[in-house]
This record gives sequence, C-alpha cells and structure tokens, in this order.
Amino acid sequence: MSDQVTTDLIIRAEKLTLRFGGVVSLRDVSIDMRRGEILAVIGPNGAGKTSLFNSLSGVYQPQEGSITFMARDAAPLSVIGKKAHQIAQAGVSRTFQASRLFSALNVFENIKIGAEDHRGIGLVGALVKGPGTRRGEHQSDEVVIKLLEFVGLTREANLIASQLSYGARRRLEIARALATDPEVILLDEPAAGTNPSEKLELAELIRRVRDERGVSVLLIEHDMKLVMSLAERLYVLNFGSVIAEGSPADVRANPVVIDAYLGSSHEETKA
Amino acid sequence: MTMFSPANLKRLFLILVITAVVAVMTGTPGSSTASPTTGVHGSFLERVSWFGLFVAPRWLLFTTLGVIVWLVVSLYRPRARSIRRGIDTALALPKALATKRSTRVALMLVALVVVIFLPKFVHESFWMYLIVEQIGVWILLALGLNVVVGFAGLLDLGFAAFYAIGAYTTAWLTGALPAPALFHHPIPTLWVIPIGILAAMIFGVLLGTPTLRLRGDYLAIVTLGFALIIDDFVETQSGVTGGGVGSAPVPHPALNLGFWHFHWGITPTPYYYLCLVFIIVFIIVFTSLERSRIGRAWVAIREDEVAAESVGINPLKYKVMAFAVGAASGGFGGVMSAGLVGIVNPGLFTFQISVNVLVLVIFGGMGSIWGVALGAIVIQTATSYLDNYQPWGYQINDLYMYIGALLIIMMIFRPAGLLPSRRRAREFAAAKGDEQVHTDEVLTGDQP
Amino acid sequence: MGFEHFWLSGFDQIHTAFWTYLAVGLQNGAVYAMIAVGYTLVYGVLGLINFAHGEVFMCGGFAGVFLTRDILGDRTGTGWGSVALVLAGIAIGALVSALVAIGVEQAAYRPLRRRHAPKLAFLISAIGASYFLQTLAGKEFGYGVNIFPGQVFEPGQVMFTLFGTTIHTITVVSIIAAIVMLVVADRIVRATRLGRGIRAVSQDAETSSLMGVNIDRTITITFILGGALAGAAGFLYSLQSGMVQNAGTEIGIYAFTAAVLGGIGNLRGAALGGLFIGLFGSFSVPFAFEGNVQWTEIYTFLILVLVLIIRPTGILGERSGRTA
Repeated sequence: MSDQVTTDLIIRAEKLTLRFGGVVSLRDVSIDMRRGEILAVIGPNGAGKTSLFNSLSGVYQPQEGSITFMARDAAPLSVIGKKAHQIAQAGVSRTFQASRLFSALNVFENIKIGAEDHRGIGLVGALVKGPGTRRGEHQSDEVVIKLLEFVGLTREANLIASQLSYGARRRLEIARALATDPEVILLDEPAAGTNPSEKLELAELIRRVRDERGVSVLLIEHDMKLVMSLAERLYVLNFGSVIAEGSPADVRANPVVIDAYLGSSHEETKA
Repeated sequence: MTMFSPANLKRLFLILVITAVVAVMTGTPGSSTASPTTGVHGSFLERVSWFGLFVAPRWLLFTTLGVIVWLVVSLYRPRARSIRRGIDTALALPKALATKRSTRVALMLVALVVVIFLPKFVHESFWMYLIVEQIGVWILLALGLNVVVGFAGLLDLGFAAFYAIGAYTTAWLTGALPAPALFHHPIPTLWVIPIGILAAMIFGVLLGTPTLRLRGDYLAIVTLGFALIIDDFVETQSGVTGGGVGSAPVPHPALNLGFWHFHWGITPTPYYYLCLVFIIVFIIVFTSLERSRIGRAWVAIREDEVAAESVGINPLKYKVMAFAVGAASGGFGGVMSAGLVGIVNPGLFTFQISVNVLVLVIFGGMGSIWGVALGAIVIQTATSYLDNYQPWGYQINDLYMYIGALLIIMMIFRPAGLLPSRRRAREFAAAKGDEQVHTDEVLTGDQP
Repeated sequence: MGFEHFWLSGFDQIHTAFWTYLAVGLQNGAVYAMIAVGYTLVYGVLGLINFAHGEVFMCGGFAGVFLTRDILGDRTGTGWGSVALVLAGIAIGALVSALVAIGVEQAAYRPLRRRHAPKLAFLISAIGASYFLQTLAGKEFGYGVNIFPGQVFEPGQVMFTLFGTTIHTITVVSIIAAIVMLVVADRIVRATRLGRGIRAVSQDAETSSLMGVNIDRTITITFILGGALAGAAGFLYSLQSGMVQNAGTEIGIYAFTAAVLGGIGNLRGAALGGLFIGLFGSFSVPFAFEGNVQWTEIYTFLILVLVLIIRPTGILGERSGRTA
C-alpha cells in the first residue's frame, strides 16, 4: 500500500528547514505531491510559500531535509544541492510572483528560449547552421507555435513583453515554463495583478495545463476563490510550518486554519 | 514669467556650473611646481580671442555661452513637445529607409567598396598605419568586448588581458621574448594567428570559470584585480616577458604557400587588408551567434539570471562562452598589433586600454555590432586627430578626462548608444518604466 | 632550495624588525579602514560599488597637501602648531572630499537612479567619474607627480621608542585620528537619526521611503560621511607618501578589498578589513621576490580575488544579508 502511494508521488519534500541568518523561513516542512494533481499552498504573507517554491526549484538551498523529484522515465532526483537550471532540465518548471519576462525579446522568442535545448555547447552548430541545428530550430519553432495557440497569444507573437496586458503576461510566463516540457509546473501567484475576467481565464488555462498536457500543477495563490475552485488538495503554511493539509472543504473547516488565515479573509469578504 | 521661475533659475545655475567645469577642462593646465590654483586661475582669467572678433577673458566667454545655452533651453522647453514631434516626423522617412533591408544591404555594399579602395586614396603610409593601428585593431577589440558586455552583460574591466595574451603569444612564438622558445625555429607570425586566438580563448575560459559566478560589480572588480596582477607579473618577470621594456622586435608575418610567397613588410597596406578580412569574419561570426539560441541565452542571463535558470539555462556555461568568444577577437587584435608595431610591452595593455575599449562599446551601442564598429571608427578618429593636431590647447593626457565625461553623459542621455541594438533599446526602455524621462528633466533634476 | 632560503630570510626579517612592520602596517591599515568604510556605506544604501571613491580620497588628499604647503611655506611645524596643522589638514581634506562625493552622486548616480537604470549603467558612469577626476587632477597638478605636504613634522620625527623600535609621530597621529573618526562614524550610523535613515535604506529602500525616510537625502548624507572619512584618510596618507593624481586606483582597490573582506555593507567589518590589509601589505614586504615591492601588490590583489571567489560575503558576513 505504501509502495503504491510512493510510486504515485511526483515530488516528496521531507522536513525542510531553511534559515537566513537567524530568521527561519521554513521549519520542518513536508509536502507530498501526487502525479497529475493540482495542489495549492496557501498561507498569510511571509508564511514561507515563496521560500518553499524557491527551495523546490533550486534557487534556495535548505539547510535540512530532502526533496525528491520522481520523473516518469528517470531515476528519482535529489533536488537539494542541484542548480536551478539542472532542476528545470529535469522537468520541474516554474513561474515567478512578479512577472520576470525577458523585455529585450518578443513574445515568440520568450517562449522559444524555454523550448530550446541548453544542454550542449553548440558553438559550432550556431555558426555553421548544419542540418542538425536547422532541425533543432524547426522543432523549437513548432513547440512555440503550439504553445502560443495553447495560451492564446498567437496574434501577439511579435509584440514585446511590456506591450502585453497583465493577464497576457501571466499567460506568457506559463507558456515559457511549459516550453521546457516539464512534468511539474510551479506557479507562484499566477493571478496576481489581473482583473476578475483575466482570473477566470487563468483558472481555465491552469486546468487545461493539467488536463490537456498532463502536467502536475503546484500553485501558490492569494485569491481564495481561485484556489478553492482550482485545487484538489491544499497545504496551509503559517510562520514557516505546515499547519494543515487536505481537500478544500477540509481545510475550510479546519479551526486552526480559520484562526491563522481564513478568519481574517472571511471578515474581508464580508466587509 | 517662467523665464525667472525658481526652477528655471536653478537650471541657469546648473548650466553655469557645467560651463565652469568645461572651462577648466579646456583651460590652461596647472603644473606640479606652481601654485595649485594656477590652472584654474588661467582657465578663467586668460584672455582669448572670441572667434577672431575681439579679445576678452575666458570666464566672460564661457559665462556668455552658458547664458546663451540657458536662453535656448528656456525658450525650447515650453515648445519641447512640438519640437520633438517635428524632429520625429523629419526623421521618420530616413528611419523607415534605414530599417528597410534593401537600404541596409546598399549601405553595406557602399561601405564595403569604400573600405576596399581606401588605401588607394590614403597615400601617406603614416595615415595608413594609424588607420590600422588606431582604428582596425580597436574595432577588433571593441567587437570582442561587445560580446562580453553587450551580449552577455558582463562588465569586464580587464579586457586588455586578452589583447596582451594575443600579443605576447605572438612575440613568444616568433622568438622575440626572453622566455625559452617552444619550437627550435621561431614560427612565422602568420601561423601565430590561430594559435594566438586559441590561447586567448583558453585564457578566457580559465579566467572566466572561477570569476563568472560573481555578481556584476564584483566581477568588474575581480577582472580589474586580475588585470593588475597580470600587469605586475609581466613587469616583474623580465626573464620571461622582457619586463617593462618589452620584447625584442617581432618579425613581420610572411605567408609561403609554395607557389605564392607573400611578405607583410613595413608598408601598412597589407596589414590593412589582413585586418579588414578578420573584422569581416568576426562581424559575420558574432552576428550569427547573436541570432542563434546562444545569443538568446545571453540576453536571458543578462536580463534576469534567475528567470534564465528557470528555463534550464546554465548561466556559468554561457558566460564562460561569452568570455571565450570575446577573447578570440581581442586575442587576434593582439596578434595584429604585435606584428604591426613590431614590439610588445606592458604599456600597451594597461587598465586604461580596457576602459578605452569599453568606451567604444558604450558609445557605439552595447550589443549592436554595427554600432560598436562605427563607435570605434568615430572615437578613434577623433582621438587620433586630437593627439596629432592638438587643437585648442588639447594635450594628449587630457583624453581620459573627455572619455570619463563621455561615459557619464552617455549613461545619462543615451545609454543604448549611437546605433542602439534593437534588444538593448527595449531593455533600457523597459527599465525606464512607463514614464519617459527627457533629457532636460534629467539636467534640471525635476521629478518626472 | 632557493625558495626555502627566500622563505626563511623573509621570516628572519620579520623576526628582527617585527615592531617596525607592525607600526607601518597599523598606519597603512588606519588609512585603508577609513576609505573602506566609505565603500561599505555607499554599498549599503545603493547596492553598488562606488568606483569613484578612490578619486574622492585623492581629491581630499590634495586639498590637505596644498593647505599645509600654503600655511607652512619653507618652515617646519612644531609642537601645538603641528597638531593644529594636522587638524586643519584633516578638516579641509574631509570637506573637499565630501563636496567631491556629493558632486559624484549628483552627476553620475542621481540621474540614473531617477530612471531606474540597470546596474551596468551605474557601474559605467561611476568609472567615467573616476576617470574624469583622476585626469582633471593630473591636468591641474601634473600627471604622475607626487606632491608632498608642507613639513607638518620634522622628517622622520620620532615620538617614542617601543621594544627598541622607534615609533614615528606620523604613525601615532594616523592611528589616533583614524580611531577617533571611525568611532564617530560608527556612533553616527548606529545611534543617531541620520544613521537610522542610512540603516533603514540599506535594509529596504522601498519600505523605508514609505515610512517617511527621504531617500535622496539619506544617500547624499551617506556620500558626505564616506567622502569625509576618505578625505581625512587622504591627508593622513599624504603626510607619509605625498599625493599623486592616480593614487586613487591602487589605494581604492586596497580599501575595497578591505571592505569586501569585512563583509561589504558592514561598517565595523570594513574597519577591521582595512587594518588587516594594512598589516598584510606590511608583513608581506619581506616576502617580495627579488625585493621587488610590486609583489606585495600582487599578494594583496590575490587576496581580493580569492576572497571574492571563495567567500564573497566576507569573513564577517554581510550585514544587510543580501544573497550573493
């Protein structure tokens, strides 16, 4: 039974502790993510959500604990100690809380940079442009065209990122992350700064990322309505620790959570 | 009346301060033996001819010029928007033409014809020599540093080291250094070209691998530190490098293909064509690199390293690659210079050289290959002119004062350079945010 | 064998003249410490290296040099007169350097700050300012000419003898002046309202501006503070070595090394780092190959390079806790 559960997992983080100087931003955090689910991490500001994301994607190195990524066709990968780009190449992709698109590149190139293989050196290939290089270029162009369609930015392909609306930028970020052909995508507040109709579109897009592309989704989000409608399971963080875990209904009913987080949010929605 | 509003009077004050600085910059030099204020004194009190009309002290001339500038600016400001729009419409046609592919190809062909037939028109070998040594070699250096600073966004303050590696490798392999020769017979200078380039590239990888993990300003300092170490080392190791005096004469290159024997001699014209061929090759190579996935990866890491890593780019690998690629053309510049000048010494590779190359790149437009080449031509022509004619009391040492001022001015008013690269221009525009800051607002310090 | 001999003779020299090396090291260290604090303070508020700081030091040094020359002429200072001259030199050096620092901030940094320019732009314009000042000084006072101050003390004047080593007045004066000024700077940053502003901006500029800290003013004050220390250091340095138009580059890098060593952004660390670099430079003299002093430069630059590569947060760690 327990074996069954383990093979079903895609990311297992155990007892993560992350400190900056004297400040503890994660304390004994354990997260299990199942393949193919939409999992959300919620919590008040400063609860450690983004620290968790940065640990999972290799930007931060937690001092204690372990993170294992179980790719479909590869041996389990121990994430801690790996560089961010290695983790991305292994199949864990991410977006950022504040949009971090490349402003010097247009929409097409922003996605293409994700679609390209960055493993080889390729200095000669870039210069001589042999058939192999051409095929590679062609393949990444195909990927980009499909992704542009998938996120609905085909008409904006030649614009630069700063000319896009907020909602479109967030979709572009998701497209760029998907271009690396990941098995898991980590979305850090994908709906931040968007208007209500854009939020609906994004929720729809995130669901399609899982349903149509089979990518497992882990997201951080502040908008409770969005989280509750989208996520199948939730972890609640507070002061760097996990205080609750379960389905949206369970979490909503959990008194600890209401006390720490939802309580204030409920009052806001009432007001 | 807006003319005498506090803001506008503040502007007058600022302009007069700048004018005073310019007066001192262009004025009489002081001396180490006289009173420290001699130079400043002379700069203001010396009586000069006003365009041949009448004679008056400099302070009056400069104050008048400052006030005239202020008047023009004051009158221009209320109409700034419409004037700017007028300039934009006037420039619209040339701009549209310039972006057209056919115009570009035509311009390039014209430029090619001009550079090919240039030696036919420059008869004095002194000038031909200057063109190769002061412009050709510097274009090579600027193209190389452009890869490092312009494409990958890495501030390398020790770029002259690559230049030095190319030159010292040349001197060594041709037997001009005290260091024991690698081969029994010194090899011809021309065969040194590939070896010199390779040596510089290897050095780029060796230097880059440990240092390129550092963030921008630390990288600048470490490259500077390495440059100083190398400089000191070369000077102290006279048994290997010839020390401060430098190498023995480096022979001119020769090419012997059996059926065709060619000798690069005293006349600079053959060097000119050698240099030209390599400049064209490097331009083609760097252009195709910029447009490849490597070029895109460079853009990504210079803009946002964390985001670049999130799509699987290994920043270190691409930075080291930029160092090595840039070193190639810097190294070739060194080979050229050693063959042409005929001697190699540490004075050719100082920190000032590194800064000079940086100025060419910034002035021409970081990341813009054609801009950088044009920038090198403009600035190097200007400095050669100043050095050789010394107009308006200009002295050779003064150059770096103008270069320093130019760097600041470029960063304030035109950070993307003379011919901005499309990508860089977008980046600087994005950094500005939504608010367009115009030059006069920066000058006066008005909050935009 | 030759190397072993070289090594042993180095230690021999240190053994015989330990206190002399120590005194020289402390004297240089005092100067580096004062300059290093400027690098660290500006780094704190702006998050970047002020490449023109070495030239700020140079300008203050020249001011002090010329003031003492003007007052003394051919005479030599004695007794209280010397004390007054030292104080005047420090004051004028600090004043001129503070003004130059303000100028650098206004011309090279502020316009770019307004525009949220990329970091590369700041570094480049700072290099421009550094070059400009260095060359202007060369034009006014001669290129590469070392200018000495008026004789504030008798040359080689000995204040007292310690462990059989003569201790020069200049050494004692430099160390005392540095300690006093560094303590004052430390108190200003830690215990006054001005210092609170500086610390707040160093921590988080955006938040502190929301809390009512005037960022422009705080940055100006930081430049004044760092500039004044560097100017005083410039004068103290000139008492021993005179001042030359391009002194800023090398001394600036030494002091920057000190700031990095102490953990950039960390004021006390910078002071300790300065002391260390001073002592290191002095004690490495006997280990220079063939007695060539350029080797001590190489050693110090090697320290810089190694610290940056191996431990860029410095030995004492960065105060602001920025990630590398």
